[in-house]
Amino acid sequence: MIGRFFRLAWRQMNVQLQIRIFNRDTLLLFFLQPLVFSAVGMILARAAGNQAPDLVYTVIGSGIMGMWSGLVFTSTYDIGRDRREGVLELIVGSPTPLARVEAIRTFTNVMAGLVSLAAAFLAAMLIFKYSLAGANLPGAFLSLLLILFGMWCIGLFLANFLVWSRLGSPLVDFLELPVAVLCGFMYPLRVLPDWMQAISTVLPIRWALQALDETLSGGRDPALLWMQWALAFGISLLFWGLSRWLDGKVHDRVRVTGELSSI
Amino acid sequence: MSRAIARGVRLYLTQAWFSYRALYFWNTPFNYLASKFGFPFFAMLLFLFIGKYDGLANPVYIVIGNILLMPSLNGISGVSMAVTDEKRFGTLSYLLGSPAGRAPVFLGRALFPVLDGFMTATVAFPVALLIFHLDLSKTNFWLLLFCILLISFTTSGLGFILGSISLVNRDGWMITSTIAVGLYILVGVNFPVDLLPPFVRIISYGLPMTRGILAARMALAGASWAAVSQLLLGEVIVGIIYTAAGYGLFRLIERRSMVSGALDNL
Repeated sequence: MIGRFFRLAWRQMNVQLQIRIFNRDTLLLFFLQPLVFSAVGMILARAAGNQAPDLVYTVIGSGIMGMWSGLVFTSTYDIGRDRREGVLELIVGSPTPLARVEAIRTFTNVMAGLVSLAAAFLAAMLIFKYSLAGANLPGAFLSLLLILFGMWCIGLFLANFLVWSRLGSPLVDFLELPVAVLCGFMYPLRVLPDWMQAISTVLPIRWALQALDETLSGGRDPALLWMQWALAFGISLLFWGLSRWLDGKVHDRVRVTGELSSI
Repeated sequence: MSRAIARGVRLYLTQAWFSYRALYFWNTPFNYLASKFGFPFFAMLLFLFIGKYDGLANPVYIVIGNILLMPSLNGISGVSMAVTDEKRFGTLSYLLGSPAGRAPVFLGRALFPVLDGFMTATVAFPVALLIFHLDLSKTNFWLLLFCILLISFTTSGLGFILGSISLVNRDGWMITSTIAVGLYILVGVNFPVDLLPPFVRIISYGLPMTRGILAARMALAGASWAAVSQLLLGEVIVGIIYTAAGYGLFRLIERRSMVSGALDNL
């Protein structure tokens, strides 16, 4: 049973990674676009008369942004591509549940996005001499895991939502940058107006990212960190629950109408 | 002679109309607005908050720059798609096999994206006035409108080049998207071009929009036509060069495809 699951996971991840590697848009989403946003941040910092940019937000934040952009595009377009190329029916008709296929795919997409963050960290450390001395490394690691878990849950939710919705492309336009704006990928949340900060509380990445910022700058306040980690984990679970509910709806609808392509 | 010109104009307008219908008629208002204002608006907000965190004295500079960049979305991506989609939907062979003059067929694809881009920026300014309290009290409005129209035209030249490249390169859309994102650094949208390193500045002044955006900013501050005439002339020249290069590239690709007899395998 477990062996079969790992074989399935390995094959799915293999296919998904090959798709990512052969799709050159990955290069744009993981590296080029974050690089542009990071460069704008640096030049704006210089224009404002700052000696040096804030590396956590300007460089590492752009890496998080690359991860997020990659996830939004893959989660929304993978299903659309399956539908367009006539593979969706085959996946739904196979004995492996669609939810499991999506879970493995989304996991692969999130893990592939780590290259963007790794590139940003390397750039910060090698080019700008960013040091992790003084950082709360175990806390930062846990925060990063929660960011990945939050992204996985949101990615699953989006993938399920888009099986029965054709809003893929416009949804990306209203998700990719708005979430980056609301979660404060490239600046601290205090910069946002109060009402925007209030909206961002429903996003698990916001809490995990805040915890990451805290821990990278040496923050060790256990009460604050545990609250942020708990909120990140709890809200992620809510998204996961929503995606499970949507998955049930999708299957019911497919069985009733028998016309997956016309959904 | 006059009949030939009339035929050319009719062909140009017909092509423009068909291309517009192919690109936009299937669209829903939500899709249209999302593609038009989604990424550009939220990118502007992101840069605005980055600027605020950095302590930038004049974040309105970012708002104006991002509004002026909006026509580029149509000019570059729209025109590039109008050319590339002929291949994607299998109509390129019919187009190249027809006896119609190539210039009106090719250039007609830019008309509606240019007008649409112009309208987008023109609508965005009053909206920004309400949200960001732009000071338009000194603005030379006719000059500003002319600058926006000019920017819309000149970016379509870059769109033609990228569209032609996309006909022979399977990563054409990635190249187009990369250049579109690169414009946030290169053409003076979020900060003056002078802040860029000298070698990047040379690239900036070789691109459409750089002079047009500068002229539009001066028009917003109340500059006269005479004060920006050099910039406008430069923008026109750059636009013509890019359009001619795009057309030349298209003809070259067409000739190559005629020799190989493999239009859709380009």
